[in-house]
Amino acid sequence: MEVLIAMILIIAVFGIAMMIFTNVLNSSLSVKKIRAQAILQEILITVEKANNNNVSQSISVDDFRVDQEIKPYNGNAALIDIRLTALDQNQQKIAELEKVILNKND
Amino acid sequence: MLKASALYIVIIIALVIGILCSSLIVAAYFYRNEYQKKFRYDRLQNNINSGVNILLATPDTAYSNGNTFSLYNDDEDSVSLKKIFWGIYDVGSSIAFAQKDTLYKTFSIGYNLDSAKWAALYLIDEDRPLSLSGKTSIIGDVYIPKAGVTTSYMDNKAYQGDQRLIIGAKKISKKTLPPLLAARLIQFHQFSQQTHNGDTSVSRKDSVVQSFLLPTKYVNFKKEAQNISNIKLIGNLILTSDTTITLDSTVIVKDIIVFAKSIKVKTGFHGNCQLFARDSISIDSNCRFAYPSCLGILRFGQPGLVPSQEQIFLGSKCSFAGIIFTYEKTESILKPTIALGRSVKIIGQVYSQGILTNIDTVEVDGSVFTSQFLYKSSNTLYKNYLVNLKLNAKGLSPYYLTGDLCPVAGQKKKVLQWLEAN
Repeated sequence: MEVLIAMILIIAVFGIAMMIFTNVLNSSLSVKKIRAQAILQEILITVEKANNNNVSQSISVDDFRVDQEIKPYNGNAALIDIRLTALDQNQQKIAELEKVILNKND
Repeated sequence: MLKASALYIVIIIALVIGILCSSLIVAAYFYRNEYQKKFRYDRLQNNINSGVNILLATPDTAYSNGNTFSLYNDDEDSVSLKKIFWGIYDVGSSIAFAQKDTLYKTFSIGYNLDSAKWAALYLIDEDRPLSLSGKTSIIGDVYIPKAGVTTSYMDNKAYQGDQRLIIGAKKISKKTLPPLLAARLIQFHQFSQQTHNGDTSVSRKDSVVQSFLLPTKYVNFKKEAQNISNIKLIGNLILTSDTTITLDSTVIVKDIIVFAKSIKVKTGFHGNCQLFARDSISIDSNCRFAYPSCLGILRFGQPGLVPSQEQIFLGSKCSFAGIIFTYEKTESILKPTIALGRSVKIIGQVYSQGILTNIDTVEVDGSVFTSQFLYKSSNTLYKNYLVNLKLNAKGLSPYYLTGDLCPVAGQKKKVLQWLEAN
C-alpha cells in the first residue's frame, strides 16, 4: 500500500514539476525578441548618423525583415518620425521601435 | 539491509523538486521583471532623445512655457519639454515618463559656426591700415580695412612673424561690425527690466544648488554691494544686483548667471559662468573661466549727462573659454572697451563694439571682431597696431559651439553641454 501511494505521489510531483518547467520556459522572453530589439536599436543609430536618413525601406537582417517607415513629424521639416518594425519569417511582429530624429536633408 | 520506507523517500524527493520548481519560478519572475525594466528604460531613452531633437529643431519661442504631450498619441509616450533663456545660450529640459518611471535630461543649446561668416579677424574700415609688429601671427580669413595691412617698427619691436602677414584670405570690411542678434538682445533687455524676486542674501550658506528642472532661483542683492566668498553656486541660479558684485577666488561657480551694474572677480578664481554688467567687469590676474563662459557688457539705456565708459578688463595670465562682448544700444562718446592684460589666453570669440585694448603677448584661439585696436605702450597709444598678438581661427575645437547672439552663429542648433541626467 505504501509503495502504491509513493508511486502515485512521485508521478504527480514529477507531472506538476514538468508543467511548471514547460510554463516557465514558454512564458520567458525569447532570445529572438531580445535579438530583434538589439538589431532595431543598431539600425536606428545608423539611420540617425546617415546623411540621407529620410527614406522608407525594408531590409533583411539575419532571419528578420526590418520595415523602416519614415514620415515628417508634426509638419516640421527638420524632424522625422522613424518607426522600425522587426518581423520574423512568418511575418509576425517581434519588436517595434519609434523615435523622432533630426532630418539631415533639411 | 535498506528499510522499505518508499513514502518517506518520495516525500523528500517531492520536497526537493518543490524547492527547485519554486526557485525556477522566482528566477523567471526576476528575469522577466528586469527585462521589462530594461525595455521600458530603452523606450524612455528613445522618447527623451526624441524630446531633445524636438527642442533642437523647433523655433526658440515654442516650449518657453513648457509643454507636456504624447509623442505618438500613445499612453506610454509622454514627454515634457521646456526651453529657457540662459544668457547667450538656451537651456532645454526633456522629461520622459511612463507609469512610475521617469527619465530626464537638461542641456544647454549652442549653434555651430557659419563658415561663410567665420573669420579670425573683423576690423571695421575707418580708413586706417592694420599694422603688425613683433611676433604677431594671424591665421585664418580676415576682414580688414581697404587700406590693408602693413608691418611697423614700434616700441623697439620690428615685425618678426610670417612674411605673408596674414595666413588666410583677406577681405574688405565694412564701416560697421556685423550686428549682434536683435532677438537675443531683446530677451536681455526684457530680463533687465523685470523685477526678480527671491532671496536677498547668500550669507550663512555653504552652497546654493538649483536644478534646471526646477524654476530659476533668483538672488537679488538690490542696492547692497556684495562680496561673495566661500560658497558653491551651481545650476539654475541668477544673481542680480543694482550695484557691485565681487566674486572671490573661494567661490565655486558652475553654469550660473550674474547680472549687475559692475562685477569684480578676484585673483585665482576659476569656474564656469556668464557675467553680464551694465558698466564694467574687472577680472584680476590668474583667473580661469572654463567653456562655455561669457563676459558681456550690455547697455540699453541712454548714456547719462556724464557718460561713463563701459569696460571689460582681463588681468594678466587669465585664461578664458567662451565669448566676450560689449554692446551699447546708443553710442556714446566714450566707446566701450575690452582690455586684455599681458599673456591673456582666450579660446573663443571676442566681439568689441568699441575698442579692443591689448597690452602684449595676447593669444586668441578663435576670432576677434572689433571697431578698433588700441595698443598701449609705456607712454603712447597706437590705433590699429598689433604687437605680439597670436590670433588663430583654426585653433578652435571643431566641436566649438557659439551662442546665437554672435553674428557668426550658423542655423543648426546642437547640444552644447549635458547639464543633468538620470
